[in-house]
Amino acid sequence: MAQIDELNKIGIKEKMKTFIVNNFLLGANADDLSDNDSFLEKGIIDSTGILELVSFAQEEFDIKIEDAELVPDNLDSLNNLEAFITKKKQG
Amino acid sequence: MRIYDFLRNSARNYPDRIAVVCREQRLTYRRLDWLSDLVAEGLIAKGVKKGDRVGLFLDNSCEYISAYFGILKAGAVVVGLNSQYVARELEVLLNDCSPKIIITDSKHSAAAGEALKSCCYPAQLWIMDNALTAEDDVIQRAGLLESDPCADDDLAVIIYTSGTTGKPKGVMLSHSNISANADSIIEYLQLTPQDRIMVILPFYYSYGMSLLTTHIKVGAAMVIDNRFLYPNTVLESMVKEEVTGFAGVPSHYNILIKKSALREFILPKLRYVTQAGGAMAVAMIKEFREILPDVKFYVMYGQTEAAARLSYLDPLYLPEKIGSVGKAIPGVKLDVLDENNLPVDVGEIGEIAARGENIMLGYWKAPEETARVLRDQWLFTGDLARKDEDGFIYIVSRKKEMIKSGANRISPLEIEDVVCQMAEVVECAAVGVPDEILGEMIRLYVVLNGKKITEREIMIHCRNNLAGYKQPKEIRFVDGLPKTSTGKICRLSLSGTNN
Repeated sequence: MAQIDELNKIGIKEKMKTFIVNNFLLGANADDLSDNDSFLEKGIIDSTGILELVSFAQEEFDIKIEDAELVPDNLDSLNNLEAFITKKKQG
Repeated sequence: MRIYDFLRNSARNYPDRIAVVCREQRLTYRRLDWLSDLVAEGLIAKGVKKGDRVGLFLDNSCEYISAYFGILKAGAVVVGLNSQYVARELEVLLNDCSPKIIITDSKHSAAAGEALKSCCYPAQLWIMDNALTAEDDVIQRAGLLESDPCADDDLAVIIYTSGTTGKPKGVMLSHSNISANADSIIEYLQLTPQDRIMVILPFYYSYGMSLLTTHIKVGAAMVIDNRFLYPNTVLESMVKEEVTGFAGVPSHYNILIKKSALREFILPKLRYVTQAGGAMAVAMIKEFREILPDVKFYVMYGQTEAAARLSYLDPLYLPEKIGSVGKAIPGVKLDVLDENNLPVDVGEIGEIAARGENIMLGYWKAPEETARVLRDQWLFTGDLARKDEDGFIYIVSRKKEMIKSGANRISPLEIEDVVCQMAEVVECAAVGVPDEILGEMIRLYVVLNGKKITEREIMIHCRNNLAGYKQPKEIRFVDGLPKTSTGKICRLSLSGTNN
């Protein structure tokens, strides 16, 4: 069971990373984005970008993200996204 | 009054009062005054002389404010550089205003250094990462500072705005331009030393700079928070820091209303909010007022060429005159003129023109552009409007063909010039199309020469050559572009097109 959870988590991070690289880091090397990089500090995503990111996560992982949940602790790095989405999926 | 005296006076009157809060950093007026003295001495020691330009390539921060006043205290001219710019964009500005020094930080130094490599003249980079330890970075106090190096009419600040030709124009503002506008804003917003403004607008734009100058002049506090990407975080900061004021453009209010938990926050200290930077939908103003009915909502209008502000709508009249940008601010004469420069009749459309001590000296090294807008002692704004029977102004059309996305005015020509550098592109047209959050988003129509190129390749090219807010959100390939009878691209018809 623990192994399956781990595989799911890797899937979340990879899918989110692919989305970010394809949509916001056009042309850049995916290795340029590390798991702990702050999207805010690195200037990777703008105000509308974060909304696109949220829409993608909602559709891709079938979760509902509330307005009050749009905070850096949940969204501002690949690691934060992974932990947040995992928690949401666990309900 | 000279701008550096705003800080000196407040430091004398309120030395221990907080001037700036930026996350964990807090600067008192005494400390800010001292830090800016150090920056001024550092600049003089590096060879900066009166009238020299000094670029500021930083995000909003304690360092920005220390450097802003330091540059002015050295008698030099502040050139606020858009901190989102890539090297190519920066190079254009640096070649135009030839600053002697560029003050930046580690985050931005690579772009600044790359831009300088291609510049036509040498400039020094001063990397300033932490104002609180700035004494380690500069030569110790050496008595180099003159107490009053400038006259009221001396050039103090250059702010670049997007020109309709695609080339940014440097708006030259004197000490008295900025001082007059600050006095006026302080008066109508009734700012006092007890005020605390939430600053999310960049200081390199005139709206943001007016927050800086007015609050320092009155001895109030600025709470800087660059995290509006996460609006709830900014709202939490507003509660924690007990801010009394907030300033934003329509997209900020759209995000607060539609994409934040604004309704769940209690903001008992919030006294007023201001909105400028383009028309905000009446429905959104009403919705915001329903959420925060006790907060005064100031609709304002202005231009960088006017040191920021030209008119405001007194919140008392908001229900009755909603949709209007109000009347002239104190000290400004504002009128709606016809083609003979005569005031139009009630209800008729004309061009907004302004007079006052706040009107710019002109555009930097662009006398022809200056002569086009400064005529017969009026600033001609290019904005079309009508007046009602009570003298309230209603804007009907903003400057033509500029895209207004979020807080930014964007020249379509600049985007088109960049995309047309691609060998496969015959021609293209950038237009603003309505966007629920940003007001307008950029759509690019592209005509190819028959060779294959993908949307992604164009996006990558834009990303390498344009700041993020100038990059198209949507690309459409077309066989041809609609043209006027004189052969110019007819953007108006494209912006109304969905196909």
